[in-house]
Amino acid sequence: MLRAPAETKYADELDYLESIDTGPKPFTWRLSPRMVRIFVLGSERSDGLDREIAQKWFGDRSFVERSIVTLASDRGLLLIGDPGTGKSWLAELLAAAICRNSTLVVQGTAGTTEDHIKYSWNVSMVIAKGQSRQSMIPSPIMTAMEQGMIGRFEELTRSTSDVQDALISILSEKYVSIPELDDDNIVFAQPGFSIIATANSRDRGVNDLSSALKRRFNFVRIPVVTNKKSEAEIVRFRTAELLRRHQIELELPPTLLDILLQSFADLRAASDAAAGDDDRLESALSTAEQIGVLEDAILHSHFFGDRTLRAQTLAGSLVGSLARRSPEDLAILNKYWHGVVEPRGREGGDWGDFLDGGRQAISTLS
Amino acid sequence: MTVPLPAPHRPRQEGDHPVPPHPAEHAGEATPGGTFTPLRDQLAGAAAAFASGGLLPKLVDDVERAMAVELEIFPVCHHSPASALAMARRLRAKQPKVIYLELCEDLRPVLEELRNCKLPVALQAFATQLDGFPPGSGPLSVIAPITEASAEYQAISYALDTPGVELVLVDRSSDHVFQWEQARADARSGQTDVGIEIGDLRPRFAELEEHLLHHGKVRHWSEWWDQYVEQPLSGADYDTYRQVMVLIGSLFRRLRGPGGPPTDDEDRERYMWTRMREHLRDTGTDPADCLYVCGAFHAASPVMDEPYEITGRTATRWLYGLIPSSHSAIERQFGLAGGSVSIAAATWAKALRRGGVKPYRLSTKPPAATPAAPAKIKAAKAAATGGPANADMLTGFLASPPALDELDEAELLGWCVDLVRLARRNGYLASTADAIAVYETSILLAGMRNRVRPTPYDFQDAAVTCIEKDVVPGRRDVRRLCEILLGGDRFGQVGYHSLPPLAQDVFDRLEPLGLDLSKRTIHRALLDLNADPQLVPVSHLLWLLRRLLPADAARPIMGSRRLGERSHQESWDLALGRHQREIIELGYEAVTVEQVLEQRLRKSVSAPDATAARALEAVEDAILFLGGGRLAQELGARAVELLAAERTVDEAPDVLRRIRRLLAFYRSNEPALPEWCERFVTAGYAHYCTLLPTAFVADDTGLRQVAAMLGFLFTMENLALSLGCDRAQLELAVKQSHPESPAKVALLWAAQTQLGILDRQELRRRCDELLAHPLVVPTFPQYLSGFVQALDPVPSLGPFVVEVISKAFARLPDDVLLPWLPKLITTLRDQAGELLPVLIREAGRVFPGRLATLDQWTPPWHGQGTGPGAGAGSGAGLGAGPGALVGASGQGGAGSAGAHGVGGPAGAMAGVGGAMAAADGAMAGVGMAVPVPGPVNGLLAAHPATADAVAALLGAEAPASGWEQGLRGPGGGGDGTGLTIGAVNAESAGGAGAGGSPGSGAAAALVAEHPRTAEAVADLVGA
Repeated sequence: MLRAPAETKYADELDYLESIDTGPKPFTWRLSPRMVRIFVLGSERSDGLDREIAQKWFGDRSFVERSIVTLASDRGLLLIGDPGTGKSWLAELLAAAICRNSTLVVQGTAGTTEDHIKYSWNVSMVIAKGQSRQSMIPSPIMTAMEQGMIGRFEELTRSTSDVQDALISILSEKYVSIPELDDDNIVFAQPGFSIIATANSRDRGVNDLSSALKRRFNFVRIPVVTNKKSEAEIVRFRTAELLRRHQIELELPPTLLDILLQSFADLRAASDAAAGDDDRLESALSTAEQIGVLEDAILHSHFFGDRTLRAQTLAGSLVGSLARRSPEDLAILNKYWHGVVEPRGREGGDWGDFLDGGRQAISTLS
Repeated sequence: MTVPLPAPHRPRQEGDHPVPPHPAEHAGEATPGGTFTPLRDQLAGAAAAFASGGLLPKLVDDVERAMAVELEIFPVCHHSPASALAMARRLRAKQPKVIYLELCEDLRPVLEELRNCKLPVALQAFATQLDGFPPGSGPLSVIAPITEASAEYQAISYALDTPGVELVLVDRSSDHVFQWEQARADARSGQTDVGIEIGDLRPRFAELEEHLLHHGKVRHWSEWWDQYVEQPLSGADYDTYRQVMVLIGSLFRRLRGPGGPPTDDEDRERYMWTRMREHLRDTGTDPADCLYVCGAFHAASPVMDEPYEITGRTATRWLYGLIPSSHSAIERQFGLAGGSVSIAAATWAKALRRGGVKPYRLSTKPPAATPAAPAKIKAAKAAATGGPANADMLTGFLASPPALDELDEAELLGWCVDLVRLARRNGYLASTADAIAVYETSILLAGMRNRVRPTPYDFQDAAVTCIEKDVVPGRRDVRRLCEILLGGDRFGQVGYHSLPPLAQDVFDRLEPLGLDLSKRTIHRALLDLNADPQLVPVSHLLWLLRRLLPADAARPIMGSRRLGERSHQESWDLALGRHQREIIELGYEAVTVEQVLEQRLRKSVSAPDATAARALEAVEDAILFLGGGRLAQELGARAVELLAAERTVDEAPDVLRRIRRLLAFYRSNEPALPEWCERFVTAGYAHYCTLLPTAFVADDTGLRQVAAMLGFLFTMENLALSLGCDRAQLELAVKQSHPESPAKVALLWAAQTQLGILDRQELRRRCDELLAHPLVVPTFPQYLSGFVQALDPVPSLGPFVVEVISKAFARLPDDVLLPWLPKLITTLRDQAGELLPVLIREAGRVFPGRLATLDQWTPPWHGQGTGPGAGAGSGAGLGAGPGALVGASGQGGAGSAGAHGVGGPAGAMAGVGGAMAAADGAMAGVGMAVPVPGPVNGLLAAHPATADAVAALLGAEAPASGWEQGLRGPGGGGDGTGLTIGAVNAESAGGAGAGGSPGSGAAAALVAEHPRTAEAVADLVGA
């Protein structure tokens, strides 16, 4: 499997936690809220566990706590934040910990219809046998309702308002009626059902949520990680995972990680100070973006280089990933390279190589 | 200067390590075998099993040592309701006769003033006149905030209100605070006040705090403290309280390292113990009757027995007072989490309601001098109950889980309902469903965080989760609303009787307004100075406060104060209640506000970076606010000195503007010019003559500066010459000037014209040559800029400037003209007051007043020897040029011109000014081309001959059909009227006049012949 869902990947941890969990569990939850927190945020010595549980999501503890209690309450959870802040990852971890199934996902797009949220029909079966529960194809959300699990709705604000509003009745009445059927025509949500939706704060204004839907969700805003220490942890954690997945053995030099984190911090500061969109990189400069840059550089060094990550390669992939609009983004990167990287690069070392690599990449793209 | 206090909330930096044991500790260590032996053994075992080093047993040693001291030590933590409760209980039980308090000893007299205050307020020691500290390091300020929910306030209230009880402050003085900071190499800078608090108890290095927060699963220190110390201790007995506090103090004390910045904690402890020993020795008090209130950090001091030689104070003059404070200010100053002080206050109030503890509160009147009998009885009773038992309460406390509060359902429900109501008022779409959700979420969150009762922090998190959506609809977000709900920010107030004399004087003098200015709201004060003359001094004081306090403390809505002006009515927005601190701090400078201003003015002119312009400003302020007099003379004399010593002319425009204003003021208000003014003019004349040649060539001297120098020289010339200056000096200076930049060349030509060295025809010829020269044409706009600037020093050049500009519009190619236009507009905007009237007057005079006459109109400079080719092109070009200009500068100008019925190029030209002035809001010459209604018309109509003669003498053309017809005409007549007024205005307002304008002698004769008419005209035009 290229990418195993969290419940498969961390099955042994979940089994272990479930075996020792004595705390009260809401509804049909597989773990108590405290154990869910430990699963997501990792264990401490003070938790008194026999084995270590790795930290999987890096961020403020209170966000996780607030998310968990929301799921234990009557309302849905809406994780909102910039792209790449780990919303979907947190949603997946929560779903995996609570109900051991994080795959009941609806991806919100402009083409998402109400059928994707409720149910659709197996047309050939309907022709053959008529409309019945057997010929009905339940949506992931409906499946979650039936089984008392957590349904996930990715990119809620990308789908149109009428589709969004279909969620209102699901979240308040907790049932879906199937008018096409004469009997057995209501699917009731079982205890433990809830929805974790994610929304991109950069999409604000595309399909704004209605007040009615907002009321049914608790919002947890996930900020971009700006703490260098946590960010380094996240990048290291995710990169190790990627390397494992690609079966690559490659050393990640700490100095290069520092360079990457520092460049993103500088570019973020520049973005915050910019007056207009043209002076700002299109990228949200999120942690996920950093991981992407690093992954790109690692793969490049592995397959086309000498299997050692070098500063030039890192610079090349940074420029390649961030330069999305031809004149604007390149101009900003060029300015950054000359204004900030150049003084550091004069002293040589990795910054010097980083400077050269970046220059070369910019000139290639220009 | 700003020197920080030892580490109020400054976690140590990376690299700190735990300290090796203090050498004195072994000697003074309590011997094993006492009350705490079992606990010590247990902890020693734990230490042996889990860690290296003997930290844990040493903590127990510390506790035992502190408990064994004869003088009872009461360890406190700041903003801790548990400390305050324990203090109130202990004071009632023990009734001590002497209380030693860890607070700067020199603040003692101010404590009495707390009676008149609404807490929170802060004790302040303030020094501006430094002696013994590096120069420039002042002002020094020490601030010690006092809140009601604090143990120190309980101790202070008890001591001040109980007869026969003495309160002794034992910590180093404010002066020592700064002395010690000076001695330390790591003195931080950039802080305005140094804050001190009793009972600063926080980990001294960042990693420890981080560790505690992480494992305590809390976000910030206040929350940790609340959960792990405050709540378990709130109902604890006195011994447990004392031992736990000393233990925590000892823990933080020992977990710090030599790698961090040096602290003076131990010196402070030696200081305090020395002071206490001195007091005990001097008064012979029994230590058993005393209570020593100090931060828990200092309770377990290893140096309490060490002698210490207290050094003297510096000669710095310290002033003491009380200033209002607020919860948010305290949180900001000491780096506490937002809302933590408010939450502490709310917890204190709740604990009082629940626990039935009667707190001490300062009464407004001091107690009678003799000790009251009941106190004796109580003291006797307390003596019977004895001191603290010193039994080991720690073992039980540490071994058992803390007794946490039970869920207070009614309280939580109340919070939820109130919050939803508050949120609705602030624009949130919150409903009862949200209240239910917040309630449920609070309990779930608290459960996740190992507590039964949700703390205010849990409640805040729950509220944010359930109510906060993607946008904040109003000014306040849910987190802020929770803070407001849980007590909100409280502002203290210093009572009238505790105010310094200056502040009392200010409030006394504002009494006639009939407003309660101590309130924090904004008051609107209306002053009708004609109807109620007793408000004149009030208005005067308000203007003074406006000058001395921040802008929003006293803001005039109507009325102004400028030289020679007087308001009939004024309207003010006053927020003095919010700025009580600033008023109190004025009180540190002097006894009255007038004195403060006087001192500040003197200081500003004697500062090393003082300039002549600033000194003139000080003179103006002295006249406006302090009535001028001898102070103005002194400041003026200083201005003369400063001007003579200046080597740059950067501030020449400012100097010119100010001295003109002052001269006009003195001429109209005083029988003779003050002596300093005369000296300023003569010194300025010589000064600017000397600097003129350099200024003309120096690149770093701007055009405006040179123009201002010329303005000074020409407009003050008459006065300067009458005072003995020599005109030859000016002529020589002009001759020595050889500017290179085109703009300055134009300025020089203007100066030469004024001096008669260059005649008008020659000037015209030079300009035409420039225009005809294709290689020079691109720089012509720069010449124009020079000529525009010359309008101020040489107003008689006005017609010529209009002519040159018109020619430029007509003949310059667009690619040269258009880039220059914005510059012209911005120049005219900036200097609208000086340049626009002249320019518009001249434009109005030259261009036809009505559209119909445009066809027949030929520019007056046509046929003045500029060549037929140039003349032929100018008519058409003129039409296009100004039109384009109006188009470029917006519709406002064209609109206003049209509304006034003035069409054609003149209107367009006036429109230029209109646009500029409309943009600026300062149109000085609106009346130029508009019939002026009212008495002017009547006057001019009544004396047509006089008006004609004045107009002729002043160079304005009267309408051929006479004034009456002009005035009654449908719009065209405005031309003449406006002109005359403008001319008279310019002549009279220009102060020294247009130096050498033809016919000024004849004008004087005419005015002398018709004095009443002249007076009437002058009155009407506001001269």
